[in-house]
Amino acid sequence: MSWLLTATIVLYILGLLHSIFGFYRKRQVFVRLALGMVFAGFACHTAFLTLLGGARGHLPITNLSESLCFFAWCVSLAFMVANVRYRIHALGAFALPLVSALTILSQLAWDEQHTIPQFLRSGWVYFHAGAAFVAYAAFFLTSVAGVLYLVQEKELKGKNFHFLYFRLPPLQVCDELMRRFLFTGFVAMSLTIISGAIWAQQAWGRFWGWDPKETAALVTWAIYFILVNYRLSARWRGRWAAWISVVGLTSALATFGVNWGLHRYL
Amino acid sequence: MEHLVLIGLNHRTAPLDVRQKAAFGAERLAGALRALRACEGVAEAAILSTCNRVELVATVEEPSAGVAAMEGFLAEGSGIGRGELRDILYRHHGDFAIRHVFRVASSLDSMILGEPQILGQVKSCYGAAVEAQTVGSRLNGLFQAAFRVAKRVRTETGIGEYPVSAGSAAVELARKVYGDLGRKRVLIVGAGEMGEVVAQHLADSGVGAIEVTNRSYAAAQELAGRFHGTAHPFERLRDALARADIVLTSTGAADILVGRELVREVWRDRKNEPMVFIDIAVPRNVDPAVSEIDGVFCYDVDDLSSVVEANLAERVKAAAAAEKIIDHEVRNFSNRLRATRSAPAAMQIQGRIEEICRAELERCLRRIGPQDAKAVEEMEAMAARIAAKIAHPLLMELRDSQNSPEEHASAALLMRLFQAKDAK
Repeated sequence: MSWLLTATIVLYILGLLHSIFGFYRKRQVFVRLALGMVFAGFACHTAFLTLLGGARGHLPITNLSESLCFFAWCVSLAFMVANVRYRIHALGAFALPLVSALTILSQLAWDEQHTIPQFLRSGWVYFHAGAAFVAYAAFFLTSVAGVLYLVQEKELKGKNFHFLYFRLPPLQVCDELMRRFLFTGFVAMSLTIISGAIWAQQAWGRFWGWDPKETAALVTWAIYFILVNYRLSARWRGRWAAWISVVGLTSALATFGVNWGLHRYL
Repeated sequence: MEHLVLIGLNHRTAPLDVRQKAAFGAERLAGALRALRACEGVAEAAILSTCNRVELVATVEEPSAGVAAMEGFLAEGSGIGRGELRDILYRHHGDFAIRHVFRVASSLDSMILGEPQILGQVKSCYGAAVEAQTVGSRLNGLFQAAFRVAKRVRTETGIGEYPVSAGSAAVELARKVYGDLGRKRVLIVGAGEMGEVVAQHLADSGVGAIEVTNRSYAAAQELAGRFHGTAHPFERLRDALARADIVLTSTGAADILVGRELVREVWRDRKNEPMVFIDIAVPRNVDPAVSEIDGVFCYDVDDLSSVVEANLAERVKAAAAAEKIIDHEVRNFSNRLRATRSAPAAMQIQGRIEEICRAELERCLRRIGPQDAKAVEEMEAMAARIAAKIAHPLLMELRDSQNSPEEHASAALLMRLFQAKDAK
């Protein structure tokens, strides 16, 4: 079964290399090949996670290696959705390094230990953790789009018609991508917090306990809440929105990393 | 035995007035093609005549005599002296002629590298030659291959994707901000000549709507009529700005017409939607400081030329990749050409061997009288096997000698040995 994970890693890395080469040489053939490889890698990845989940009898997100692997799967899915919808040829070169790195880390840190304590065994784990991973993946792509926006904006404002000017997507395409993933991520994050609260009420008889991860999640949620609001009122778009989306990602990553207290199992 | 030759002159070897003298206008092209083919030793002929080049391509029996005949033909038709012609002509033979045709069709030999019109011009010249019935299988093959190569160069190197005129550079800049321009609104301020050229490019790029304003309302209406847009009086400039995504200015005003404060106000009305200013007026109509506002981009004539420059540099890079493709394609094409040339000999020899075997088989069957079907079948198979086994090493020898100097000698020897009749 672990050969499936190896195959996944190999395919993702091949996809990444083709993306970078296609980006550098501006050859769409390679970008298309890269997408094909990521599709194949994603299929292996899905098969691996399904088999793993079947063997262990729960969603594979209970230890570090499992959750890295699952997170990579979410980012890969979001990448493919974005690519099929917007055909941004530059995206692969920026999003695939993370996908490859996460799957490699997952294999390096592979851990056979996996348990969910009895009191956490509930249907909620699927919904709560699933939504959280979707939110992280969406926020990651939001910030990738934000970085692409900032760089291309700099080239256009600075009248710097060189390497990146030719290769990065149009500004409004970046902006649109940023908006879509921001809203998706925000909805998913809200669902994560709400489902977490309800689950906490059922498990421990209280909705909120200021556990470190809960607090971090709330801060992240607040940052994105402000961003979503300003976007809707059109006061912030373009450069500002791009900057905040990058700041938001650091908060989201911190939330992902804070794993003590009640969330020591992730 | 036919040879492919090409002679010609182009923008690099001859000045415009000489090129004009040498050119074959559409009305006399058919007559010229027939006259060229009627020249001594010329089997197939095609003429490529555009404002930047005049080239004669032909298959001839003997290269140097053929080229001399073609030069004579060109001197006679153009009235350019032979001596002068000798200095400005390039002459290519065999693989070099193939390469030249491929490079011309792929726009690597054009004045503006990668410009797309040349392929159409080559196609119509080929069409004229087909109509005048002066091309045969050799030149047909050459031109079809050239069209395929040109298409391959275009798609694989993207050489034509980099706009190299001010108008298309403006469109490219707008696309780099907006992506698709299908729902974008263009405002044209002023009705200058240069402005019109750029406006035409924007209109051709499929923008959503065009509005025109000018100090003279009549001129605005006239221009709006041409671009299927709407005209607005000059006093309503501010409202028009608030609606516009792309603003093209080319008035003769001495001062700044669109200042930073105005754009800031308008931009707020637009709910911070981005704006692109293309200011091709000299002196400027738009204050360059407007680009300090987030989401507002302002480009003047100099910026458009630096986009053009950058794009030309990209075309030069793409051309280097294109040359590699052409190297490869020339090799392929000339190998194929050789293979088809020796194919008739191979077929004749094989046919002769099969003929002998079949005749002997029939004679044998006549002698031994009626046999059952199984036995006849077996004998037929044996005859076919003998024919194939004798022919095989000979065909291999023919194929192996294809690219060597002994090619013709071994083909001729084999034909003689097997008493195969040469079709010629």
